[in-house]
Amino acid sequence: MEGLVIKVNRSENGTDFGITVSNLSFAYAKAPVLKGVDFHLEKSAIGLLGPNGSGKTTLLRCLLGQVPLKKDQVSVLGWDMAKKARIARTGLGWMPETGGIIPDMSGVAVVAYMGELSGMPARDAMQRAHEVLHYVGLGDERYRPCDKYSQGMKQRLKLAQALVHDPEWIFLDEPTSGLDPRGRVSILELIRDLAHHKGLGVILSTHLLADVESVCQEILVLRDGELMAQQQVDAGAREPRQVFEVEGFGNEEAFLAGLSALGAEVTQEHRLLLVTLDLSTVSGAESDSGFDTGAGVKAILAVALDNEYALRRLRRRPVTLAEEFYRMVEA
Amino acid sequence: MPVYDRGYTHWEPSGGRAYPAWLVIAKRGISEPLKKRWLLMLTLAAWVPAIVKAVMIYVKLKAGDIADLLVGNWTSIDATGFLSFMEGQRFFVFVLLAIVGAGLISTDRRDNGLSLYFSRPLGLASYIGGKALVIMFFYAMVTLFPAYGLCLYAYSIAPDAVGSDLLFLIPLRATFYWLLSGASISLVLLAFSSLGKRSIFVMVWWTIMVMGTETIGTIGKNLLNSDAFEALNFLGNYHNAASGLFSSEARLDVSPWLSLVVLLVWTAAAVFILRKQIRPVEVVS
Repeated sequence: MEGLVIKVNRSENGTDFGITVSNLSFAYAKAPVLKGVDFHLEKSAIGLLGPNGSGKTTLLRCLLGQVPLKKDQVSVLGWDMAKKARIARTGLGWMPETGGIIPDMSGVAVVAYMGELSGMPARDAMQRAHEVLHYVGLGDERYRPCDKYSQGMKQRLKLAQALVHDPEWIFLDEPTSGLDPRGRVSILELIRDLAHHKGLGVILSTHLLADVESVCQEILVLRDGELMAQQQVDAGAREPRQVFEVEGFGNEEAFLAGLSALGAEVTQEHRLLLVTLDLSTVSGAESDSGFDTGAGVKAILAVALDNEYALRRLRRRPVTLAEEFYRMVEA
Repeated sequence: MPVYDRGYTHWEPSGGRAYPAWLVIAKRGISEPLKKRWLLMLTLAAWVPAIVKAVMIYVKLKAGDIADLLVGNWTSIDATGFLSFMEGQRFFVFVLLAIVGAGLISTDRRDNGLSLYFSRPLGLASYIGGKALVIMFFYAMVTLFPAYGLCLYAYSIAPDAVGSDLLFLIPLRATFYWLLSGASISLVLLAFSSLGKRSIFVMVWWTIMVMGTETIGTIGKNLLNSDAFEALNFLGNYHNAASGLFSSEARLDVSPWLSLVVLLVWTAAAVFILRKQIRPVEVVS
């Protein structure tokens, strides 16, 4: 029954599966790494972004309770990590960036061993080890000594050991580091599947924006140990000022005059008109969750219709994560 | 559904028994070296002195005191004889523990394994306890278990001649000695193992600790006529400190109490080092 008890008691009150960090500061040998970080995360796919040395790995170690913490600074699954880190870790998986394999053991032995250390009965751990190794694509290689694995296989093995005890959250530190493009895509697909279809919370720490963009719903941006931003990956869509790409033919002068009357700024980019529209001035665009891009599209469409301007293209120009990230980090 | 057909499924606990982390670590630490045939052979070779002693005991029990003239203390089947036996096993203790113990923590440090261990629900005491048990098991394999075997053997061939001490008191003393000395030796060896990331480095330090301190003790005694140097003899101190327990005369020319104090200092230093060195995070100051 112990395995059952361990799994059921993962969250302190049975309902809180989130992560809360309150005014977290941390220093290694008097060198400050994290400075007053605050955030709350619900179980979802989170990207932890920041330049090298910004404190991403240290933040993950704080979430795991691997470093000394003060009371109520970090709460994971409802547990205060200063006091109850060991209990909370039954529901957490960790994939370190470097090392993290145990030589002289086969892949399946390493994963089962980690399962047992997480409180699983030996038989369950071995059964799960086979399952997760198949899931990550190491089914055929599971009996080989893991120190003979290629870099891509080692990354998969590390992901498997993080999953063996079926955690609520997995913390992935640079999971695509050192992988070729194919390996990278394949690992990201696994992570996406876990976060979007299997109900696991994922924190993906990386400096590769494309990785976060393809997997995560929310981002945390760290710079020099400070939390610069916490927002949805597509938060750009909720900003009031949005840029629309417009292409068409007809009475362009009248169309531009109509846009100007709407309060839009227009610039030309090759054949495209880039229309910057402040949605806060468009009636019906503002809602509780932000601004409705559709209202902006409708407004431009109406101007085109009134001025006999036939549209070939009309869409909101996506704000790339890279633009957002650099804007935040350089702010 | 066959395993290879499954995607990711959530774990449904079977209700089986989960072992504590220290036991899981110990189990793995013991079973992995035993898969190496040469190490198994070495462990079995450590039983050769016990087999020889068993033959001697047989001769003594059958030929009486004449055997003592031929083989001296070897035939002794009292507490002193067993302390002598365990003392005689120090070569195997030195070699086997160096092989098994050197990499126990250094390998984890080299491969960032500590980070993995401490991402699981286990603490420092469980980690060190599990690793120490591995060393204590192999220590028992070359000292305690052969001693048990000899006691049983001697009792089985001549129960009237050897008395019930062999079944109860001597094994009890041997177990107590193994427990204390094993725990202390394990902590010292683990402390060395935690200081480096390469097993060879640990082996060098272990060799200096065992052979070096014995050599210094011998040189100090013979060349400088000073018995105090013998207090440095690492393994010798264990046998010397245990002489009271086995109702034997002191094994070194220093007081058993002094040996005990020296060993306590070594053990305390080892605990201090382990607490300082074993962290899930490498701190660069």
